[in-house]
Amino acid sequence: MQGNAACAEGALAAGCKFFGGYPITPSTEIAETMARKLPKAGGVFISMEDELASIAAVIGAAWTGARAMTATSGPGFSLMMENIGYAAMTETPCVVVNIQRGGPSTGQPTRAAQGDMFQCRFGSHGDYSTIALTPNSVQEMFDLTVKAFDLADRFRVPTFLMSDEIVGHMRERVTIPDTVEVERSRPLAEESLPFEASADGVPGFAPFGSGRAVHVTGLTHDERGYPDTTDPAAHDRLVRRLVAKVESARRDIADYEVTNPDAETVFVTYGPPSRTVEQVMRDRPDDTIGHLRLRVVWPFPEFALHEFPNAKVFLMPELNMGQMVREVERHVDQPVVSLPKIGGELHTPAELVRALEAHR
Amino acid sequence: MIAPDWFRDDRLPHIYCTGCGNGTIINCTLAAVEEMGWKRDETIFVSGIGCSSRAPGYILTDSLHTTHGRALAFATGVKMARPDFNVVVFTGDGDLAAIGGNHFIHACRRNVDMTVVCMNNYIYGMTGGQGSPTTPPGAISSTTPYGASEPAFDLAELAVAAGANYVARWTSYHVKELTKAIAAGMQTPGLAFVEARTQCPTNYGRHNKLRTVPAMVEHLRSHAILVRKYERMVAEGVPIPEGAFTVGELVRRSRPAMGVQR
Amino acid sequence: MKLVIDESRCKGCNLCVLVCPYKIFQEGTELNSRGIVTPVLDRPERCTNCRLQALYGRMLCGVCHMICPDQAISWVEERPFEPHKVEVEF
Ligand SMILES: Cc1ncc(C[n+]2csc(CCOP(=O)(O)OP(=O)(O)O)c2C)c(N)n1
Ligand code: SF4
Ligand code: SF4
Ligand code: SF4
Ligand SMILES: [Mg+2]
Repeated sequence: MQGNAACAEGALAAGCKFFGGYPITPSTEIAETMARKLPKAGGVFISMEDELASIAAVIGAAWTGARAMTATSGPGFSLMMENIGYAAMTETPCVVVNIQRGGPSTGQPTRAAQGDMFQCRFGSHGDYSTIALTPNSVQEMFDLTVKAFDLADRFRVPTFLMSDEIVGHMRERVTIPDTVEVERSRPLAEESLPFEASADGVPGFAPFGSGRAVHVTGLTHDERGYPDTTDPAAHDRLVRRLVAKVESARRDIADYEVTNPDAETVFVTYGPPSRTVEQVMRDRPDDTIGHLRLRVVWPFPEFALHEFPNAKVFLMPELNMGQMVREVERHVDQPVVSLPKIGGELHTPAELVRALEAHR
Repeated sequence: MIAPDWFRDDRLPHIYCTGCGNGTIINCTLAAVEEMGWKRDETIFVSGIGCSSRAPGYILTDSLHTTHGRALAFATGVKMARPDFNVVVFTGDGDLAAIGGNHFIHACRRNVDMTVVCMNNYIYGMTGGQGSPTTPPGAISSTTPYGASEPAFDLAELAVAAGANYVARWTSYHVKELTKAIAAGMQTPGLAFVEARTQCPTNYGRHNKLRTVPAMVEHLRSHAILVRKYERMVAEGVPIPEGAFTVGELVRRSRPAMGVQR
Repeated sequence: MKLVIDESRCKGCNLCVLVCPYKIFQEGTELNSRGIVTPVLDRPERCTNCRLQALYGRMLCGVCHMICPDQAISWVEERPFEPHKVEVEF
């Protein structure tokens, strides 16, 4: 099965009932699969007029309590940014899939990249926090899509599946379980106000039709959902909570693999560059080479870097000019070497071996 | 007070300026909703950004106050996911026809079953009165200090051309007719578009020789010509007075619609 | 029924003055405690709705309270009922 198809299957398995999208290479197969299968699964597929409308419709559908998602690539992702901020501000659970391609601008429509990793974290204006998952295989396109829906519901945040052309168009065997367990939002308690958070910082969810007359606004609002745009304390309270509910759950959300924790030279990867690292490690078994592979990059699990107490250097191959490497640099004292590659091709094992030799 | 059960009492008085027509249009819309016998738990108000788009915040139902221009796209998501809900969109001339123009024509084309009430005050009211796509040629605004030089959109005609099943236009003076039109739109399956021309005394009237609120409303009243009469005048070759516009029902039809509850 | 203006909501736009066929609303001249000049009522018992709502069991005319942008106009029950001598000018 193809990665994009596995993503669509994951969404269907997770009970996604609404897809709004606009075609863009290399993500289109997700929309096409949803168009074919969603109506038969009792859901709604709608081809919107652009990506601004796609994410808007997804947020609208999400407020009816439906699991909703859209899929796009760089140019469409850029168009979605204002409403992604709206989803963060209004705590709307929804999933956005970005099958990344070379940018900026129209760039390389048919080539892979990981150039939107900061955009998915900081792309909309203002302070907020989101969750981003990075699959490296067709199986993970399925698994992490399911997981993205659960995280979106649990934390009431827009959640991103940050894949790329390589994984989206890769074909591999997948195991699709008959059913998957899903975790939905906690319902809004009778005695709670619509935006009154519980101890974990996340308010219960009362989707439209619950009889709670919830006013949803992107303006700074109080616990009732009423605009309060001038009181500094109201804004501080709301925005701090929006950030904290995700950041304080970093350990809970984290998902990563550690290989050779005693190693001195450690590769840190996410997405398909991890496959080249795995190849290198298979080719030359060597306990002094370690690998930290992140399946969740935002909120950034800085504690995972400390799982390598003997690390002398971190090497970070990415399909961009060096983005997540900044986050790693921020959290460790050891030297961190960026191994950027752009243009659409993965690092070759030989390239990584050269880097390994040069830096250890 | 109209439809007291539908107002969020704890948020009144609203933020609108003295004599702003938006409050009147909320009254008419809620009167129509009451006439329809809709339930509050099944009725969703959606809006974009602007003074007009603040309306859902004063109504005691679930509501989405969204981003500038995108209300119709959000509403499409709500209605397609839950066709059993009654969806009403409040929007402004800028929200609908400038930044949201693309969503406007596509929502009409899809004919999604909802009611769209546009408070057309000829201006970007909330940002302080800049020229919008409906600012009449010659009118003064903060960005057209020498008089608007661009031709204006006719929103209702645009909705007709784009395919909405119900289209009407009235003004904030014609409260009874406007209420009836909104109710007729709500009864029509498919997208109902009602343009309500209204006064922004603060940012439009003041600069266009309409200094008092009643003067602005009187101006709307006296420039409104019933569609039938207008057609007769055109047929008879009677000149149409400067600044006149049609009011009444422009279309009621049954093109295929989406999101209609079966 | 008795016509009342909610002084806590009225913003003094005078649209009611424009629309009432009986000219019951008259432009006011004095500032109220909120600093707003609200209209004054001239023999409100002439209002169609004051006189006939009870008889017909529904809102009559009602144009003023529909156009009032600030939801400030309403009718309250008179208790005890005060009979009025009504002169309606046509
Ligand atoms: C993307 C974006 N651009 C600009 C604005 C600023 N803005 C807020 S309201 C508005 C104009 C609203 O005009 P209209 O829709 O006619 O509403 P009105 O206030 O006249 O009722 C603008 C330009 C914004 N909020 N978002
Ligand atoms: S600025 Fe104009 S449109 Fe906005 S509230 Fe004031 S009068 Fe109404
Ligand atoms: S209901 Fe009619 S008659 Fe009575 S006060 Fe209002 S406008 Fe005048
Ligand atoms: S229409 Fe309403 S707000 Fe305006 S003056 Fe009359 S009572 Fe006051
Ligand atoms: Mg406007």
